[in-house]
Amino acid sequence: MARLRDLQLRFQDYLVGGSEAIETDITGTDNALAEHRLGTYYNAYRIRLIDCLAVDYSALEQYLGRESFENLALDYLRHYPSRHPSVRWFGQHLPEYLRTCYRGEEREFLQELASYEWAQTIVFDAADSAALFQLEDMAQVPPEAWPGLTLQFKSAMLWLDLYWNVPLIEHAIDSAAEIPEKQRAAQPQRWLMWRRDLKTCWRSLEVHEAWAIEQAANGVSFGEICEGLLEWIETDQVALVAAGFLKQWISDQMVTRVGNN
Amino acid sequence: MTDTKPFLGFGLGLRAEHYQDILERKPKNIDWFEILSENYMIDGGKPLYFLDAIRQDYPMVMHGVSMSLGSTDELDFDYLKQLKALIERVEPRWFSDHLCWTGVDHMNLHDLLPLPYTEEAVRHVADRISRVQDYIGRQMLIENLSSYITYCDDAMPEWEFLSAIADRADCYLLLDVNNIYVSSYNHHYDPIEYLEGVPTARVWQHHLAGHTNDGNLIIDTHDQDVIDPVWALYEETAKRFGPVSTMIERDGNIPALDQVLAELDQARAVAAPYYQS
Repeated sequence: MARLRDLQLRFQDYLVGGSEAIETDITGTDNALAEHRLGTYYNAYRIRLIDCLAVDYSALEQYLGRESFENLALDYLRHYPSRHPSVRWFGQHLPEYLRTCYRGEEREFLQELASYEWAQTIVFDAADSAALFQLEDMAQVPPEAWPGLTLQFKSAMLWLDLYWNVPLIEHAIDSAAEIPEKQRAAQPQRWLMWRRDLKTCWRSLEVHEAWAIEQAANGVSFGEICEGLLEWIETDQVALVAAGFLKQWISDQMVTRVGNN
Repeated sequence: MTDTKPFLGFGLGLRAEHYQDILERKPKNIDWFEILSENYMIDGGKPLYFLDAIRQDYPMVMHGVSMSLGSTDELDFDYLKQLKALIERVEPRWFSDHLCWTGVDHMNLHDLLPLPYTEEAVRHVADRISRVQDYIGRQMLIENLSSYITYCDDAMPEWEFLSAIADRADCYLLLDVNNIYVSSYNHHYDPIEYLEGVPTARVWQHHLAGHTNDGNLIIDTHDQDVIDPVWALYEETAKRFGPVSTMIERDGNIPALDQVLAELDQARAVAAPYYQS
């Protein structure tokens, strides 16, 4: 097996780094020299993985333009060759890699755009939830149990805190609509992304809902969340607002369980 | 080796572009589907939803691209564990992968790379197929590649290599007719000689697909219709092997379902004279 292994290492070194040692292992013909035959694999390796990235990061590709995107993808491929059986995971490090390729605000914008696109792939095929909590089920919760209620959210739900309006830009690119101006907020905006039925949904959260959903996801009780919301909401409104959040999250099919600790 | 060769009829590679159409119309002129295993080794969402729904109405087989049977790395049992779980979910009639390697040193090049046709490689690959079959608990099919290179080390023709491995591992063959055509063009051999060199009883499935000719080499792109010389070669396989489950593979430039179904009907028509019981 040593001979076979050496051959495979030479071939791989050629595909990944262009090492020419493999050429003496290959027979050429008049119509197709060894170099041309090997080049078919060399090019296919790059094209396949660039195209894979272009599917996962279509908005980034359109924003950068094909040529710049290809150059970025080739650099990325050199730094992060695939080690996973499924090509679906090849692009997972691209947001992180962008940190090393750009500077300043452009770096931050591109990283956020890529992170947002990768989040879509995560939500797209995250685990299904066996059972979702329904609004009708809330009727069975006695009033005295409400303060102690805790929530569990489905796997196909996440949020990102973004300075740039990348969700609006990504959505415009995806739907071939007019692309809004790039805008950077002074504070990051929290964007919620989740799968409802089979569709990936997203929306921005106001600061108090952003805080509340993070607490709820961390297992903080409804009563404690109400107390915390007093920072933004008047006392006589806080229970109503918190119940409104809960109703919205349940209606959006994000909640798998409501219970008492 | 079992004496009876299962015949599923004429199938298609299941592609996301056709999910909705298939569920809504449930076309009767598709007898079965082949899924790409790796596309469904995920936790949930749309692909698994459609897979579960479509398999209620059609038999399935599973086809992988990442087993890397020819690699000199250790077998990836994490991958095989996922594959086994998917097999338990889908209950396919069989599962298959390619006679190739996809990387070494834990890299995946996501290409189907050819092996040298040597005794060393026969022993190595057959041993790995046996271990996979033991782990999964059933026999598998291995598919011949389209290839663009010939190694100086080659000690036998491809069909001997393929057959020797199948005999040694006691597995079955997914004979890709387009790949035979492509490789015979690229390496200047007679495709009929290939067919004559393959053990009839082990051939359980055929792939048909289109390709692209760059002027010097034919590249197996799966983005075109099946061309006439491949249909002619398929007719030769039908003559030689009798009823073998046959399907169309389309991975790029994917047309509407009806166009692929028309191509599948063409496969039926070509094979019909030889598939009469």
